[in-house]
Amino acid sequence: MADVSLQGVGKSFGAVEILRDINLFVRDGEFVVFVGPSGCGKSTLLRIIAGLETVSGGEIRIGDRRVNELPPADRKIAMVFQSYALYPHMTVYKNMAFGLKFVKTNKAEVDRRVRQAAEILKLSGLLDRKPRELSGGQRQRVAIGRAIVRNPSVFLFDEPLSNLDAALRVNTRLEIAKLHRDLGATMIYVTHDQVEAMTLASKIVVLNQGRIEQVGAPLELYRYPRNLFVAGFIGSPRMNFIKGQVLKMDGVSATIGFAGAKADIEAIPGSLKPGDPVTVGIRPEHMEETGAEAAPLRGAIEAVEQLGESSYVYMKLASGDDVIVRAPGETDAAPGGSYTAHVPSRALHVFDAFGVSVLPNHP
Amino acid sequence: MTDLTASSAQSMAVAPSRSRFPVHIAVFLAPALAIYTLFSIYPLVDTIRLSLYAGDETGARSFVGLQNFQTLLTDPNWSGHFWNAFRNNLIFFSIHMVVQNGIGLGLAMLLSLPRLAGGSIYRTLIFLPTMLSVVVIGFIWQLILNPLWGIAPSLLKAVGLGSLFGPWLGQESTALLTVSLISVWQFVGIPMMLIYAALLNIPDDLLDAATVDGAGPFSVFWFVRLPLILPTLGVVSILTFVANFNAFDLIYAVKGALAGPNFSTDILGTFFYRTFFGFQLQVGSPTMGAAVATAMLVIILIGVLIYLFGVQRRLQRHTF
Amino acid sequence: MGMTVRPGRIAVHIALILYTILALGPILLILINAFKTRRAIFADPLGFPDGQSFTTIGFDRVFANSDFGLYFLNSLTVTVVSLVLIVLIGAMAAWALTEYRFPGNTLIGLYLAIGIMVPIRLGSVSILRMMVELNLVNTLTALILVYVAQGLPLAILILGEFIQQVPKDLRDAARCDGVSEYRIFASIILPLIRPAIATVAVFTMVPVWNDLWFPLILAPGDGKQTITLGVQQFIGQYVTDWNAVLASLTLAIAPVLVLYLLSSRYLVRGLTAGAVK
Repeated sequence: MADVSLQGVGKSFGAVEILRDINLFVRDGEFVVFVGPSGCGKSTLLRIIAGLETVSGGEIRIGDRRVNELPPADRKIAMVFQSYALYPHMTVYKNMAFGLKFVKTNKAEVDRRVRQAAEILKLSGLLDRKPRELSGGQRQRVAIGRAIVRNPSVFLFDEPLSNLDAALRVNTRLEIAKLHRDLGATMIYVTHDQVEAMTLASKIVVLNQGRIEQVGAPLELYRYPRNLFVAGFIGSPRMNFIKGQVLKMDGVSATIGFAGAKADIEAIPGSLKPGDPVTVGIRPEHMEETGAEAAPLRGAIEAVEQLGESSYVYMKLASGDDVIVRAPGETDAAPGGSYTAHVPSRALHVFDAFGVSVLPNHP
Repeated sequence: MTDLTASSAQSMAVAPSRSRFPVHIAVFLAPALAIYTLFSIYPLVDTIRLSLYAGDETGARSFVGLQNFQTLLTDPNWSGHFWNAFRNNLIFFSIHMVVQNGIGLGLAMLLSLPRLAGGSIYRTLIFLPTMLSVVVIGFIWQLILNPLWGIAPSLLKAVGLGSLFGPWLGQESTALLTVSLISVWQFVGIPMMLIYAALLNIPDDLLDAATVDGAGPFSVFWFVRLPLILPTLGVVSILTFVANFNAFDLIYAVKGALAGPNFSTDILGTFFYRTFFGFQLQVGSPTMGAAVATAMLVIILIGVLIYLFGVQRRLQRHTF
Repeated sequence: MGMTVRPGRIAVHIALILYTILALGPILLILINAFKTRRAIFADPLGFPDGQSFTTIGFDRVFANSDFGLYFLNSLTVTVVSLVLIVLIGAMAAWALTEYRFPGNTLIGLYLAIGIMVPIRLGSVSILRMMVELNLVNTLTALILVYVAQGLPLAILILGEFIQQVPKDLRDAARCDGVSEYRIFASIILPLIRPAIATVAVFTMVPVWNDLWFPLILAPGDGKQTITLGVQQFIGQYVTDWNAVLASLTLAIAPVLVLYLLSSRYLVRGLTAGAVK
């Protein structure tokens, strides 16, 4: 097992810069998820760590060895592809044993490792089948098995669940999490789905347009997003953003006016002046229907979605902003009616004109 | 009630009518089937029929069953040339299989390397000889290999292989090989293109997975790409077979109908031509010509059948 | 990319360049020597024609002693007419086979498939006899008929594949409007398969243009030779006249060369598209 460290890594294809100044440290045994919208460079970053792409600048180290010049085969990594990439002309057994061909392993050892991996992934009965005879979920497990057999220092996953249907996705997600617990291996996982990121990761790396926006544990990113992008990316449904203005600034206390309401927050000293425009963020699930201390947001209901376990109320505020409120359980609210959502100050996020959070309390 | 019948009558009018004879289908098919049958199938069948007859000087024909074939295969006046042509054709085919398809495979592999600069230019240029007439190619090489002109020997001398040169086209021992290589040189483009297309079809993910698994470039080719293009290699092989056993143009252009020296470049196509039309001292015989053609047909059919049932069954075409 | 070129890549390019030289060299040799005097041809075969050695004497002799223009026209006529007929008739048959289900559909398909594998030349004995009876010997018509018959099976296969890709909705909508089958074919299908014609053209035009066998057998007479036959006869006659020989070869190559380089993109695309089938 090994640490992975990236320092100053950049990647360009001709004139187009895909990644810039990536600095990252993955500790041995961590489950790190690269997450971000399409085109943010997460897959490219993974392929760079694998050695399938070269870097335009910077250094990559795996297990304290510089690997920039090493081909994938020498980096002690294994990769699971979105399309599974199973060899169609080989049986499941041969697919899983393929990698060991190049590491000079004797037949008995190969057999042992393949069967062991098959056991873990419940593939023991399928070893003689060809990939086209398997279901999507089974193929995915063979792909994972192929990686396990090689006993790598780092496992790389490239959106492995994207091609599975919803139910299978949940099951396989649990299996991957269990695999991580059992093997204790370093795993780097790429996905565009923030639910996968939140549930699997011990550390999430949020990428946007080739830059790292924020790195942290899932709940850390949830509670203390450092900028607008991360705040809007993590959490579903998306955080509500409302334009506001600084009314008063006094040392570390600030009063923010937004959508006809006012709230007091604690801000980083010197980050705001009265009159500065800000963006206020509140998660739908943090809005309350009642609350003495909370700032009230009044508006009309445009739509209501009832899911049974919760309801989503779509409001248009008097100020013109659109807001989603998540209410627990069922609700009597109906479209056309009026509604007031209360916003407790402790749940407020405030971002300055550059989209950077002004709240002091992130670790 | 009336509504139902009205709507069902309407839906019947929409679909192409089945109850009346579908005239339009016949109209669409007729011209193709007519020309094809008249000028492709009928002549073949008629040739086979003709091979069962023998003619004499008066032009009268009589049914002789398989006697023509017996003559062809065993009569010393005929069988020598027939078996010679057949053997030469086999050599011709073998050289194509090994050299033409080997080089084609190699070129296809090089051209399918990722991010190859100028790939399409190479492909276009290397494919050029295939576009030209066999006759033209034959003459070009005749000129180049001509000792009088001296291009070939001087080029070889420049590389230090000057001693190798000889009047290859004129020597019995080397003529067939030379002509075969000329043909290979011209037609390499075809297996190159077909195999190239098949290689492109292999998803990049698969090659990446093999690389990550530890395979070097050669191993990726041997264990992943080659097995996956086997069906295409099968198609290339049978196409080569049919083309080679049907070949005529090049030999005729370079060596004439006599396919010298001393029939060393004679293949079934030239043998057929001579038998049918006659040449110099030999009188043409339509019936014997038909027999030769039928024999060629049988040989080609055997090859095709072996391919369809022996080879194609085994080779799985993988969809991605 | 534009990054450091791996040493392996350089070797690849060297190999490809060497083979390209091998593929093009002979052709270039002919082209440059066709414009040189006889002395220059022998003295300096690899050199380009310069002010002293440039001459068109070979070409003059070719045009004086043979009817190259006519041969070219003959080849053009046969090739183009064959192609048009093959595409038209082939499209109709491909349409009928892929669109309509009727008893015998598969059988007819197999029947046509025979023509792809089995070479039509083998029936030449009978073909010649038929042409004699139909009084078509030494006519371009005979060549056209034979080439159309030869090219139909493969064309039908290729066109069938393309037709199948036309969405069914278009045709059903037309049928709902009460359009006759013939009009559907003409107005909807024909324009949509223009790309298919490129593929068919590749597999059809080149073999027809370059063919020696049928012109030799069916139309060797004066005035009806194709360019391939014409070149073969001319060279046979003037074999010691190097200028004339080189010039005639150049004339035979030139039209194909020009056409090929102009349309290489289509040709290559057509070939690889057809190959995947």
